[in-house]
Amino acid sequence: MSQHAMLVDESRCIECKSCTVACKQENGLQTGDWWLRVWRREQLKDHLVRSYNTQSCRHCADPVCQFVCPVGAIQRGEDGIVIQDHENCLGCHVCVSACPHSGMKIMTNGKVGKCTLCSHRLERINEPACVTVCPVNSRVYGEREELLREANKRVAELRAKGMRVNLEGADKDQTAVMYLLVDM
Amino acid sequence: MGSFVRTRALTPSSKPIEHDEELRTSICCLCNGGCGIKISLDQEGKIKAVFGDSKNPYNKGKICAKPMEISQTLYGPYRVRYPMKKVNGTFERISWDEALDLIAQKYNQYITENGTGSIVGITSKIGGSYSKLAHSIFSELTGLVNYGTGPICTDSEANVRKKLFGDGSGTSPLSDVVNAKILLIVGNNVAQTKAGQFHWITEAKRTGTRVVVVDTRFTETAQAADLFIQIRPGTDTALGMALLNYVIKNNLYDPTFVAKHTNGFEKLAQDVSALTTERAAEITGVPQNVIEKLAQDLAVLKPGMLFEGRGIVCVNNAGASVWAFEGLMAILGNIGKPGSGIISHINNTGGISNLIKADDVMKPDRKRSSSALYKDMEEGDVKMLLISGNPCVTWPDSARMSKAIEGLDFVVSHTLVMDDSAVLADIILPATHWLEEAGAQASVHRVVQWKNKAVEIRGEEKSGGDFYRLLAERMGLPSSYFPDSPETAWELERKYNKNVAGISRERMLATPGGVHFPCSEVGEESVRLFAKGVFKTSSGKVELTGVSDSPLDYVDTFNAPGNIGVSREKFPYLFSTNKVASHYHTECQYSDWANEMEQPYVEMHPLTALEIGVGEGSQVRVETVAGSIVLAVKITQSVPRGFLSTQPYFGLQSPYGQAPANTLFPVAADPVGGNLVSKNIICNAKAEGGQGL
Repeated sequence: MSQHAMLVDESRCIECKSCTVACKQENGLQTGDWWLRVWRREQLKDHLVRSYNTQSCRHCADPVCQFVCPVGAIQRGEDGIVIQDHENCLGCHVCVSACPHSGMKIMTNGKVGKCTLCSHRLERINEPACVTVCPVNSRVYGEREELLREANKRVAELRAKGMRVNLEGADKDQTAVMYLLVDM
Repeated sequence: MGSFVRTRALTPSSKPIEHDEELRTSICCLCNGGCGIKISLDQEGKIKAVFGDSKNPYNKGKICAKPMEISQTLYGPYRVRYPMKKVNGTFERISWDEALDLIAQKYNQYITENGTGSIVGITSKIGGSYSKLAHSIFSELTGLVNYGTGPICTDSEANVRKKLFGDGSGTSPLSDVVNAKILLIVGNNVAQTKAGQFHWITEAKRTGTRVVVVDTRFTETAQAADLFIQIRPGTDTALGMALLNYVIKNNLYDPTFVAKHTNGFEKLAQDVSALTTERAAEITGVPQNVIEKLAQDLAVLKPGMLFEGRGIVCVNNAGASVWAFEGLMAILGNIGKPGSGIISHINNTGGISNLIKADDVMKPDRKRSSSALYKDMEEGDVKMLLISGNPCVTWPDSARMSKAIEGLDFVVSHTLVMDDSAVLADIILPATHWLEEAGAQASVHRVVQWKNKAVEIRGEEKSGGDFYRLLAERMGLPSSYFPDSPETAWELERKYNKNVAGISRERMLATPGGVHFPCSEVGEESVRLFAKGVFKTSSGKVELTGVSDSPLDYVDTFNAPGNIGVSREKFPYLFSTNKVASHYHTECQYSDWANEMEQPYVEMHPLTALEIGVGEGSQVRVETVAGSIVLAVKITQSVPRGFLSTQPYFGLQSPYGQAPANTLFPVAADPVGGNLVSKNIICNAKAEGGQGL
């Protein structure tokens, strides 16, 4: 089936955190729980550089969280979406330690929670809530091939301006969520 | 070994919302960005979720966090649902009838015994177009001396612009930026304060508009710009004047526009003659070549636009800054053409005139400046106060404001929530939220959009429109002047305000994004002001030196009101405030989500933190001549050394329980524009409670 994907373009983020709140609203998360977070990083080089690092599940093609889960509560579907079954989750947090992308979050109820790519709304609205609200199109959702073209176009534009950027998750370590990262 | 029981895990941590077919359309009324929103209601009729309206051409379905946070402020425990009266220090529920009778009786008594000037309104949060109109009719009938948002936000900007161009509003819509070759943003972090509309600027930049940001802080807007010019706090006037000087001396201005459409050019040239780019470089810390290159860019890249923010308009030399930068746009001929002009969140549709018969008009028997208001409240000249808003948090020297309000004879607060000001009132009246009231909303794109009521009230809330009409009835005033609904109010407004004569509700609802104003009776919209080169000043021209009788002059922020005469040894740092995307005004702090997104902190350069001896998260006491508050330290290199900045809207009577930052600002006004000062005050900072490193 045709694979869909999401692009997170760090170069465009303005840290308004609308995505974070939209995620909470859409998924009815409890106070204190997050599936998506935005962190500010700053560094002094010859001038001050800053970027906004957004963290949520990247829906890996070969998810390590699925591999380590002792009860098989994490499954990757045919659509490429990695879903964690809340009922079966033991709350052992092994997946949290294993995830290289900080995509697995410990919830206030002690279990683990994670981004579902808003699978419950994809049929109807065709994109995750964080994508719908993002005011600067830093988050985009669509057909994977088309999205790759858009991502490569953005990379080329930014490189032409002298920015050092790279695209993560496009091929080798394929993930459904690609990141366009600014090299600090 | 016991068994491992985790009781909280019995409840799921998430519950995805169910999407309904039916969504209600509204316009977000928080930041004047005018984003279209869609509201989803649950079975009880409460807001379940807020989305962006994809049919609105200005936000295209995108929104920031604020409209989503709003539902929580609507239903939280702080919301006021019925009228209350203070009896022996505690609030007791009363009926609207009882409340109105009491207010009317007191009001008439004070008018008779102490004159109209003994009653004052502080109404920054009066409500939508219906409430604004009723309030203005009421003020005309009673001689109420009123203070809106002006003193704490827009006075300097609006007053200066009015004198220059004859109109205080921004001259051009934000959407015009896509036609501009250069956009100069000064002291404005629009990426955070109008996040939902920021895509206009990033899109423009991608299609070739050069975006230049001048700011003291390295803001999110600065980060997104082509060029960021970091400037010493409070020195923007010097930069503006040097740009003027350079442009004039090198004949880079638009001679035709200057000759045809301006007065006072020679005098302006004289005023700025001493401020060379070399001198400005010393004052502002911006290298001379950068200033000169900016001037050259502005002269070549035309049309160009200017977007000023609170960073230069709420400071103690604000008027001169606005004068310099807007004067610069004028002599460059950057007014009235597509892709030129001044973008502003001030976009008044103008007031009504000639509705009230001369016999019925009552003039206030005395007038006071906003800074004189404090003293008159303290000394008993003011007896009664009508509040819609939260002056005990938003006005400078907030602790003094609270004390002054506490000392008044009779205080009424028409409010959404039980805030720092409401708790001091004698009568509390429940107000409707903007989602519970229909009305016309103007935006930064210079359009008016109509929004219907999106949700029903859940208690006894009334809008300002209803409140002022009912009060006028009880007071025996000619209440027939008042409209009785948002719809009739708009019809009245169209009849008595020619700027909106051609904008019917039907037309607004049928036009995605709304209708540009002014819009005459025949229905012709004006996308931007002064397109024909005729200005609203008495001469019909831009009055380049009409702002003040004194010359345009740079006054060092340390020698300007609030700081002058105060010891810099004792107060070595500079304190300021800035907004973040999750909050607006004092309203959003009642939302759980806003609370999760942002906690109060004071931004501090690492070297300043080292000097004070504090680390990330330490408590620091910031002290000025006006008072002191304690804040958590956030170490960042986004601010220069010696400059401290925090968010301005938190209150003690809120989930934050934070002493308001505005309490650190002494009552002082910008001498040119009149704004009360709420940035750039000298301060000291110390580790609190032995928490230093």
